[in-house]
Amino acid sequence: MHRLAGVFAGFFAGLFVAFAVLAGSAWSPALAQDKNLLVFAAASMKNALDDIAAAYTAKTGAKIVASYGASSALAKQIEQGAPADVFASADTDWMDYAIASKIINEPTRVNLVGNSIVLIAPKDSGIDKVTIGPGFDLAKLAGDGKIATADVKSVPVGKYAKASLEKLGAWTAAEPKFAMTENVRAALTLVARGEAVLGIVYATDAKVEPGVKMVGTFPPDSHPSIIYPVAVTATAKGEATDYLAFLRTSAAKAIFEKYGFRFLVSPTT
Amino acid sequence: MLRVDVSRQLGEFSLQASFASEGRVTGLFGASGSGKTSLINMIAGLLRPDRGAIAIDGETLDDTAERVHVPMHRRRIGYVFQDARLFPHLDVRQNLDYGRRMNRLADDPAQRARVTDLLDIGHLLDRRPGQLSGGERQRVALGRALLAQPRLLLLDEPLGSLDEERKVEILPYLVRLRDEAGVPMVYVSHDADEMRQLATSIVMLGRGRVTAFGGTEVLPTTP
Amino acid sequence: MFDISPTEWTAIQLSLRVATVATLVATPLGIALAWLLARRDFWGKPVVDAAIHLPLVLPPVVTGYLLLLTFGRRGLVGAWLADHLGIVFAFRWTGAALACGIMAFPLLVRPIRLSIEAVDRRLEQAAGTLGAAPWRVFLTVTLPLALPGVLAGMVLGFAKAIGEFGATITFVSNIPGETQTISSAIYSLIQTPDGDTAALRLVVVSIVIAMAALIASEWFARRALRRLHGN
Repeated sequence: MHRLAGVFAGFFAGLFVAFAVLAGSAWSPALAQDKNLLVFAAASMKNALDDIAAAYTAKTGAKIVASYGASSALAKQIEQGAPADVFASADTDWMDYAIASKIINEPTRVNLVGNSIVLIAPKDSGIDKVTIGPGFDLAKLAGDGKIATADVKSVPVGKYAKASLEKLGAWTAAEPKFAMTENVRAALTLVARGEAVLGIVYATDAKVEPGVKMVGTFPPDSHPSIIYPVAVTATAKGEATDYLAFLRTSAAKAIFEKYGFRFLVSPTT
Repeated sequence: MLRVDVSRQLGEFSLQASFASEGRVTGLFGASGSGKTSLINMIAGLLRPDRGAIAIDGETLDDTAERVHVPMHRRRIGYVFQDARLFPHLDVRQNLDYGRRMNRLADDPAQRARVTDLLDIGHLLDRRPGQLSGGERQRVALGRALLAQPRLLLLDEPLGSLDEERKVEILPYLVRLRDEAGVPMVYVSHDADEMRQLATSIVMLGRGRVTAFGGTEVLPTTP
Repeated sequence: MFDISPTEWTAIQLSLRVATVATLVATPLGIALAWLLARRDFWGKPVVDAAIHLPLVLPPVVTGYLLLLTFGRRGLVGAWLADHLGIVFAFRWTGAALACGIMAFPLLVRPIRLSIEAVDRRLEQAAGTLGAAPWRVFLTVTLPLALPGVLAGMVLGFAKAIGEFGATITFVSNIPGETQTISSAIYSLIQTPDGDTAALRLVVVSIVIAMAALIASEWFARRALRRLHGN
């Protein structure tokens, strides 16, 4: 028995040393990452921005490292000193917050794309087409199950959802049934896995997830316009403005629209 | 030449001892609990006197009035403990060499050979302490203390934890040490027969006080 | 299934680097404090002891948040470090190493302290009579005899560091390639609709590393026992 433990320990020790050497060789205090652009973007932009990043790298050779999450969390991280070069928020509130915290290069801000929020259900759900209007009873539709969306207090999609439901008079009854997640993609996953019977996410999220189906659209006038502002941060590298400019090109527009975003500015090139 | 004049509170009773000794082997004789170990611990520097002074060959090791205290590792006083205290992670050879290294002494193979011959431990050099008998351990402990080239050797009942057979085995080595090693010794024991064979002058301790001082005639005769 | 993507590979490399650095830096400090607690009495000792064990008991998020307040770019110490020495912890792998090191510290110190306490002080005394100054007694007697405990503590600390999540993600968040460790990567992946397979791969890697660490630690602990009983 000692022999076996000894073998394990020896194996582990060897692995340890090997990886330490590997890790050491990859070590650079001024990280190679410093030559890359760090983009903090709303989770709902992941698919579109990943494609755009690939296109940007193909065109310019510069690499993009992206950190996707709730706009609320990202804004606070940049405020705490996270070295992001570009910030893309899912609502204007959080961009305004970031600007007020003096972490944004304000003149570079542009309201880039728009979106809409939809009601989704697991692909094999019995719920089919639902009309969402005044008097819509979300609580009844959900029955015993949970409704997934991101935190309604801070994350943009949650805020839009709550605003809309309040306008439609459906919020109070439905509130206890909500399962609130950290960001919109987590909510999407809950529905895709069947853990929640319904979910409120962006139309663009519903489009990329085969495990869910869209069962209704929230009337655009029931909530503030969904606008995604993008800007360069105050501590950004010079190349960041190039990237931002690329986001405004028709190449980028095509990618955004492919995923269902509305392009809000006149495309360049 | 050892001069001791100290007092120290030891739990319930106080130790007060004052003597000077030139002998090759100074025996500290007394019943257990009479303060013998505390006394040699003070000589070694493991314990500090409350009051008093200790000097060896004119060099002051302790003087509470002058606030002098030489730390134990600088006293060059060897100590053979009753429980040998060999380093378990070193073999016998390394144990023997320890004192020489710590005192930064030159390597002296002749000296080493003399000591290992004297104590008959030459065949044990590659063994670990855990592989030695009680008697062998004690002999190695003696060798280790000697090879640090101390100017005084303290022995605290070195035969105390051994059975009769072992005692009879080791006693001759101690006599040889006395006669051939050239290092003055302070030997603690409660066994009058041992004392008679080894010591040249005796300090008798009783309840923390020196009750007699002289040659072997002060020892009690066994009835 | 066993096709490891670059993102996962980066997370594994980063975890190993962070945990290795955290353990190597924490060990000398851990040995020093363990020795102090084992061998010395001083005013305030219970407080120091409690403080060392705090990360074990506090919610990891609390530890992470305290780190943010202290070492963040705008934190008390962090701002000074960044302005005067150019050292930045927030949102850097160095911050992840700091968080992991602090969380692993109690697990590192405990076995070391216990193994130092188990070293017979009479041996240290004997070494002193043989001419060894206190620091040499430590290096030649105490530390070698306590070494298996030190190694056990290091391995345990390493395993904790590599698995750390709450404090890390609160302090340095989840930036791929910089602070996204195995744990944060798994966390992100399970929130992504098609990330389950990748998450499972990383889970397997985590388990393998943790098991190896625990077995190694146990082996060292047993060796310690054997060695202290005189071989």
